[in-house]
Parts: sequence; C-alpha cells; structure tokens
Amino acid sequence: MFRLVFTGVIALLAAAMPVSAAEPVSTVAAQVNEKMVKIFGSGGFRGVTNYTTGILVSSEGHILTVASQTLETSELVIHLFDGRKMKATVVVTEPELDIALLKIKVEGKKPEEPTGLNLAYFDFDESAKRPIAAAGDWVFGFSNQFEIAMRNEPMSVMQGMITSYSKLHGRRGIFDFPYTGEVYVVDAITNNPGAGGGALTNRKGQLLGIIGREIKNSLSETWINYAIPLNAKVDLRDGDKTVTVTMPEFVAKAMKGQYKPVVKPIVALTAGGFHGIRFVPNILERTPPYIDELYPNSPAAKAGVQINDLVSFIDGEPIYSIKAFTDVLRKTRPGMTVRLEVRRGDNLQSIEIKLDEWPKGLLPVIPVPRGGEFPKPGDK
Amino acid sequence: MVRLSRVFLLVVSLGSLASVGLAQDVNEDNEKAMKAAMAKASPWIAKIETAGGAGAVGTGGGAAPIRKGVGPTTGLVISPDGYIISSAFNFANKPTDIFVTVPGKPRLVAKIIASDTSRMLTLLKVDLKDLSMPVSFPSQEIKVGMWSLALGRALDNEDGKTPSVSRGIVSATERIWGKCIQTDCKVSPINYGGPLVAIDGRVMGVLVPASPRGEGEAAGVEWYDGGIGFAVPLEDVLAILPRLKEGKDLRRGMLGFNPKTPDEMYNVPVVVGTVAPQSVAEKIGMKPNDKITSLNGKPVENFKDLMTLLGPKYEGDKITLTVERAGKIETFKDVALGGTSATLSQPFFGILPMRDDPEPGVEVRYVYAKSPAALAGIKEGDRIMKFGPAVGGQPLVPITTGRTQLSQIVRSAPLDFDFKVELKRKEGGKTETVTLKLAALSEELPEKAPPKSSVEMALGKVKKENDKELKVGFTDGLSNKTSGRKYWMYLPDNYDKNKSYGVMIWLHDVGKGGKDGKDMFKIWERYCDSANFILIGPQAKNGIDWVATETEELVQTLNQAIAGFTIDRSRVVVHGMGNGGSMSMYLAFNARDLIRAAVVSGAVLNGNAKDNLPNQPLSLFVVAGDKDPLIKEIKETNEKLKAKKFPVIYRELKDFGKEYLDQTTLEEICNWLDALDRI
Repeated sequence: MFRLVFTGVIALLAAAMPVSAAEPVSTVAAQVNEKMVKIFGSGGFRGVTNYTTGILVSSEGHILTVASQTLETSELVIHLFDGRKMKATVVVTEPELDIALLKIKVEGKKPEEPTGLNLAYFDFDESAKRPIAAAGDWVFGFSNQFEIAMRNEPMSVMQGMITSYSKLHGRRGIFDFPYTGEVYVVDAITNNPGAGGGALTNRKGQLLGIIGREIKNSLSETWINYAIPLNAKVDLRDGDKTVTVTMPEFVAKAMKGQYKPVVKPIVALTAGGFHGIRFVPNILERTPPYIDELYPNSPAAKAGVQINDLVSFIDGEPIYSIKAFTDVLRKTRPGMTVRLEVRRGDNLQSIEIKLDEWPKGLLPVIPVPRGGEFPKPGDK
Repeated sequence: MVRLSRVFLLVVSLGSLASVGLAQDVNEDNEKAMKAAMAKASPWIAKIETAGGAGAVGTGGGAAPIRKGVGPTTGLVISPDGYIISSAFNFANKPTDIFVTVPGKPRLVAKIIASDTSRMLTLLKVDLKDLSMPVSFPSQEIKVGMWSLALGRALDNEDGKTPSVSRGIVSATERIWGKCIQTDCKVSPINYGGPLVAIDGRVMGVLVPASPRGEGEAAGVEWYDGGIGFAVPLEDVLAILPRLKEGKDLRRGMLGFNPKTPDEMYNVPVVVGTVAPQSVAEKIGMKPNDKITSLNGKPVENFKDLMTLLGPKYEGDKITLTVERAGKIETFKDVALGGTSATLSQPFFGILPMRDDPEPGVEVRYVYAKSPAALAGIKEGDRIMKFGPAVGGQPLVPITTGRTQLSQIVRSAPLDFDFKVELKRKEGGKTETVTLKLAALSEELPEKAPPKSSVEMALGKVKKENDKELKVGFTDGLSNKTSGRKYWMYLPDNYDKNKSYGVMIWLHDVGKGGKDGKDMFKIWERYCDSANFILIGPQAKNGIDWVATETEELVQTLNQAIAGFTIDRSRVVVHGMGNGGSMSMYLAFNARDLIRAAVVSGAVLNGNAKDNLPNQPLSLFVVAGDKDPLIKEIKETNEKLKAKKFPVIYRELKDFGKEYLDQTTLEEICNWLDALDRI
C-alpha cells in the first residue's frame, strides 16, 4: 500500500514538472526530439545529401531548416518524431540568412486551411528573447546527421560547449558563404551531412540556434561547426543605405505568408573612392601591401601616408595582402573616410583618409583595379 | 493527512539524492568553474595578426601541403616584459609583418625573436611592460582525465575579451617523445599558440600541432579537431625561455648514428649501425655494433625508449650514455648533444670522370684546379685503378664498377680523410700510387671541361644500333598514361643509347604551362645536343601554377618519360622559374633519390631547407634579379641552403627583374650541369 502511493507521487511529479536544470539529459532529449523532423528532398550529387533536419516552430507544422539544395524539389517528405510520414512545401527562403520555412501539407486540406496537427514546437519568439548564449556555455546538438535515425528513431544528441559567438567567415568550396552575421561556433563536430537545420539547445533543451552546413572557415582554412542564432541579423549595405534582415522578422512574417525575400542591393563593381596609393607589384598570392608610390596631392599623400609604409588595417580590419586592400576599397565611395593603420618602421600609425573622386584619365579601365593600380603620372 | 505529507517529504528527499539530479548540479558547477577559468586566463592570451607570406605550407615528411589561413592566431604572454610564445605553425607561411594585441593594450608590431624547432614554438617580442603572467600548473600534477580547456583568440567574441574555448580532458602525458600533453579538446588553427588550461585557470601548456612522425611547423595539423590535440607543458617552455630570449633557435639534440635495424622500434635493442661523420657519436667514440643500454641512468631496451629519453633534449644538452661493447659496459659522461641538421659538407676528390666506360677503373676527364686530385698530381686522362685508406695498411680496392663506385667511396668518407690512389698514367702508361686528403666540395665552377665526356659504351663493349622508331627532336602534346599529365619533351637529334643522358625537367612559371615548350627548346637545344641532356616540360595540373601535391605524379611522369632511354642518374636536374622554381626546390627535396640538382630563377624556398644527406647529394644553382621584388626572399633562400651546407651557386643579375636568364649565366649553368657527376 505504502509502495503504491510512493510510485504514484513520483509519476505525478514527473508529469507536472517543467524542464529544469535537474532534468536528466534523456528527458530533455526526448522533449526536444518531439519538436524535430527529418526532411527528405533532392540531392545525391555534388556532396548534397537528399536528407536534412528541421525544427518545428508552430503547432500547425511550420518547419525551420537551412536553405540547402536538398529543398529544391516539389516532393519534400518529412518524418515526424513518432514516425508519421508527411509531405511538406517550402513557404519561403532567405538566402542571406541561409534559412527556409517549410509547412507540412495534410492530405485533403488546402494550404491556407489549418492543418489541425497540434504538434509540439519551439516557440520561436520566446526563444529569441532569451539572452545570447556565451562562450563556455554547455550545449546539445540535435540532428539526423548521416541519416542515422530512421522514421521514429530519435535524433542524434551531441554534447559540447560554445566556443565563441562571432562573425562567420565561411566558404563553401571556392565560394564565399552568403551568411556573414554572428554564429555560435561549437566544439562538438555538429555540422555533418544531413545535420543542417538541426537544433542547438542549452542544457535545458531551450533552442539557441539552427545547426548550419558543412563549410570551411575562410580565415583559418578549417572546417567549422556552427549554428545560426535565433536573432541572426545581416546588414546589407548599398552605399549609404542599409537593409537589415533578421531571423525573428523572417519567421514571424513567413509564418503569416507575408515574407518577401530581400532583394540584395546590386553593388556595382567600381574602383571605390580614390586614395592615390600605388603598391609594389602584386605578384604573389599574398603580396604585403607596401606603398611604392603616392599620387601627388592625392588623399593619401595629403593625409601623411608615406612611401614604404605598409597598410596593415583599414577600419580595424586586417589587410594581409594587396588583394585584401583592393577588396575593401572596392566597397567605398568618393567622399567616405577610411582609417588606415600603417606600419612605419616598428610603429603603427593611424591615418584618416577622405576618399576622393578619381581624377579624370586615371580611373582604371577595368572596374576592379588590381593592387589599387593606376597609371603612373605621365603615362598615357 | 499526516501520513501523506510524510510520504511526500520522503519522496522529495529521495529525489534530490538521486544520482541524476546530482550529476546535473555537478555539471552546472563545472560550467561555472570553466567560465571562471576562461576569465582568469583571458589577460594572458594575445591575438596575433599577420600580413604577407605564402598561401600554402608544407606539413613535412613528404605529406601534402595545406592552406594556411589569413585570419588571426593566438599567443600566450610568457614574460612580463612583452614576450609572447606561440605555435610555430602560425608563422609557417613566413609572413612579412606580425602584429600582436594583448588584451587591454594597443595593437603593436611584433618581432620573431627565436624559434624552437623541436617543440615547434616561436617567441615574439612586443614593446610592453608589466604584463600579467600566466600561472603555471605543475607538470607533475597533470593527470589523465583532468578537465582541460583549449583557449584561443582566432575567433573574436563579441565582448572582445572572452577567448574561444573547447572543453576536454587530459588524454595522456609525455606524448610525442615525451614533449607534449595530449588532450581531446578540439585543437586547431583556431587555438594553436593559445593555452591549455586546467579547470582552475592555471596553464598546463601551449597548444601546438604535433606528430611523432613529422617535424615541420605544420606536422600534425591533419589531426585538427580530431580529438587528438597537443600542448607543450608550460614548465618546459619556461625552462627554455632564457635561451630563446637570447635569440638563439633551439634544435633537437642528436647523437648522430643510425641504428642497425632502423625500422624496428620495440622488439630489439638499439645497436649502432653506422656512425655519421663529424657527429657527436663519432667524437665520443661510439662504434658500430655498440649496444645502447641506458641514457641518464634510465634503461634503454629499444629504439622507442631511446627516442622518448632523447626527444625532449636540445642541442647542447648534456647526457650520460652507457653502451655494451664486446661484453663490457662503456660509459660516456656529459656528452653534449649535437644539432638536428647534419651540417656536413660533401667530401670532394676533385675530378670529373669519363662516362659510359665499361673498363676497370675510372678515366679522369677533368681535374679541378687546387683540388685534392690536382695537389696529388693527378692529370686528365689518368686512370684511377685502385683506392683505399692511406693509413692502416689495408689493401687497396680495385674499381670495377666505374665512377659510381668511386663516387660512393668518396661521399661516404669523412672530410680530411687520407686516401691512397693507384693510377695508370696517360703519359707513359706507368702505374703509380699517390696519396691525397679529401676536401670540402668546392663551389667554384670549373672552366669548361673537355667536350669529350663519354666513351660511348654505356651498354657494354659491343656497340648496339639505335631503335629506328625512336622519335628524336621536340615533341609537344605528350601525356602520362596513368595520370594524364601533359608534357613536352626534347630528345637530342643525335641521341645514341650507348651514351648516358642527363635529364632536365622544366617547371614553368605561373600561367606558362604548355606555352613555353618551344622557347625552352630553342634556348636549350644546342646544349642538350652537345652535353647529352634530355629536356622534359610537364604542365601544372591546373594549367597555371604548381602545388606541392603534384610531386608524386611529377616523379611518375618523369620516370615514364625517361623509361627506355639511357639515363645518367647523377645528372637528373629540375629547373624552374618563379612558382616553378619554388616547386623545383620542393620536388628536389622530396624526390631525393631521383633528383641531383636544381636550377632556379626568381624562386623562393618556402619553409626551411631539408638536411644535406651525403648519400643523396643535391646541388643548387640560384639566380636572382636585383630588381625582383622578391630579391630579399631569394637571398634568404640562398642563405638557408648554404646553412645546410648544400653546394649552392648564387648569381644576382644586375638590372634584372623577372626575366629568365642572361647569356653569361646560361653558359655558367651549362658548365655546371656538365659537372654534376664530379667526384
């Protein structure tokens, strides 16, 4: 009799208690798993898998995942945690955030009708309001990496730590990765085939971010394991105008069917503003940007830049080669001010330069000057 | 009611005792402690930024090079007066400029003070004072299973203070021949040079890539993030700091012998096979067949034991060694170890031999002025018949396999060795005996050697007919059967298979692949005809520039191209310009069994030169233009090669930028190429 009461109380407690710090990992994992789906689409070529992972963000069956090529099919299939197999369609994608919103299709119901699915889901708005996780926080990664979980089998859970919350400098093959905002870098090898769209959670199973793709960090040339945070934000600059794209806005509008992907401002390839610096011949892959010549009365000359100075940083960004200098300058316009840090002897000097219009006849023929080159004074 | 509340209380107290709940609390405590450790170590972790340098770096040991990122890396404050220690990997691409930011201080220009080529560390200096010093975790107390955190500065955290972090445990100690702590933290270019800290924030070591099989700056990088990371104990770093501060590079300590069974690490005792000339082993009197029994009082049962005891030692460190010789124990006390590189000059006799000669002995084609041979009165046309040590009364050895035999004897002898030589004089045909002392190989060019270089009996005494089908002359558009690599080739019109031919591989400059064959052929045709050289011009895989991973295929292409010709193995040369020149040196260093010489123009040696090996001689001819923007690096290339005692000829052409060569230098190179089989 006594025994019976005892078990009854335990059962009651377990059912009533919210997820807490004292919750065992298995319980946390089971609760997260109910809010996740396995996605199957097109793929199987060029390293693109035909499977990936997604997270549910509404009881109606809205799914968030990465905007991968796997989604590029009319026949998306998803498996719910309980093994139910359903069709899904892409509502909208935002390449700048590398994110896509999907919705489950229920047979016999029109897309605009309620699905009546009543699924467990992550409350995106509430999750996004939580403070940003910091380096050193312990985290879990959930995904269907390597398609190891079949139908109703739960997602693979990995444990790790947030390595850093920092800007992503990614590349996929030789192409720069579109998303350049902040990411959670983690020290678990989370970004495996099929893991994209998985959940990064804290120890309580609260959503922190969406596991990204298999890409390399272009600064360290190493594979990077990252998740896009819920409050991801990208500023797209077009001269003095800035268009901001945020994840919460994307999710909110996309769920109402009102999101329009941002039209990326077309940044014309120009030579940028005129500085008047000519570097040593750019013959190496990473020729250090040593100044060989200064155009008389040019902005750089007037600001006090000297021949043999090494341009080391522009507005705090490291300039490790002449090419890097050109790339940064390309984004400037006449009239803008840039802060150069130049190495002169064993010191760094900070010099501000107000960029000018290119003098007539000096503007390079090619829109992107190689090594900031311009004809020598006197050249025809 | 009373009963129920009692039950409830009981359940609650039981629940909190349950192991699961407890583990979670421990996790929370650990998480907090780790964050405190990160905060504690943060002021010691510096960010390093660089400019310039190469894009790819070799991983050593013949492995494929890897791309070196352009992003920031990490260093650790090691002395309050502005010294920063970092991983040598972070500078493997030889950046031209280095900047260091210590937390809370301005970004400053940093200088490399010295490097440790054994533990792969680099010491930097910036103009700072009163820096906070890392607290060291005693090496003796580091135990397997302890929490460890790998911290770095390559990834900026938003607050600009918190380092990047990866959590793990100590996996092993005394790894990599006793030099490293091993951890399962994710260790990579993200944190190389940063600290491995304990859960209390004290520093266990400095993170580095490491491999027991490789020695380059980038050896072991292939394991990055693989759960197998390494750190050099901070205590060891502090111990060598005074020496590094003096600006002296530290090298691994060596004895200088080869074991009798070099491939057997564990199952046999260490028995001395050969003692390297001028090595420490030779100086202290170690002999072949000595069995090493202990080092510094610790028993040595196999080669692995010896490597583990010797691995942490530096050049100049003193050791005590015991060996068993003829049943007796010999003790060598306070032996100062030698440096890694065998800085051995090649021993030189002073002649050019006649080629393709099946008769006994070696006919002298040319005698170098002031060489040991000249001083001993050896003349052109004389025939060297027998050879042996001048002292000891051993009988002289007859030369039966020609110049190869003579060359091998000379190369394996110590410098200053006294030889006795039996000659058959050209004039008068008398047999005479002379003695001579070997000298270091002269880097002087010979005047033009007599044009007759071969007796044209490479295939034996019977002259054989050439294949009628052999396609002589310049052929473009050839390709390797297996790899498909394209190449062109020039086979001299007067090709005769009874003469042995040198081979020159031309590695084109950036963007010239497949376009410069005709030009090269025109420049070199006459020389190839007169000096018996075959010219081959393979094309870079991407058609533009060379990457080091092409080495194996290049060797394959070369071997296929020359199969079926009579080849003089002592005159296999690689020649290149710019990027092709850098690749030439790389190829020469990584195909040592095949390539005997490299001629490079406007080319920079990336990384360090490999050691000069007596059995695989390599000569280099380095040409630079004084207007070449890379002149500084090319000069350094020359110095790096000379430091390793390679025979190098360096020519700086006045008012030359990136042009190929001038006529004078071309002629010099031709003479030099003709003398590659010098003895």
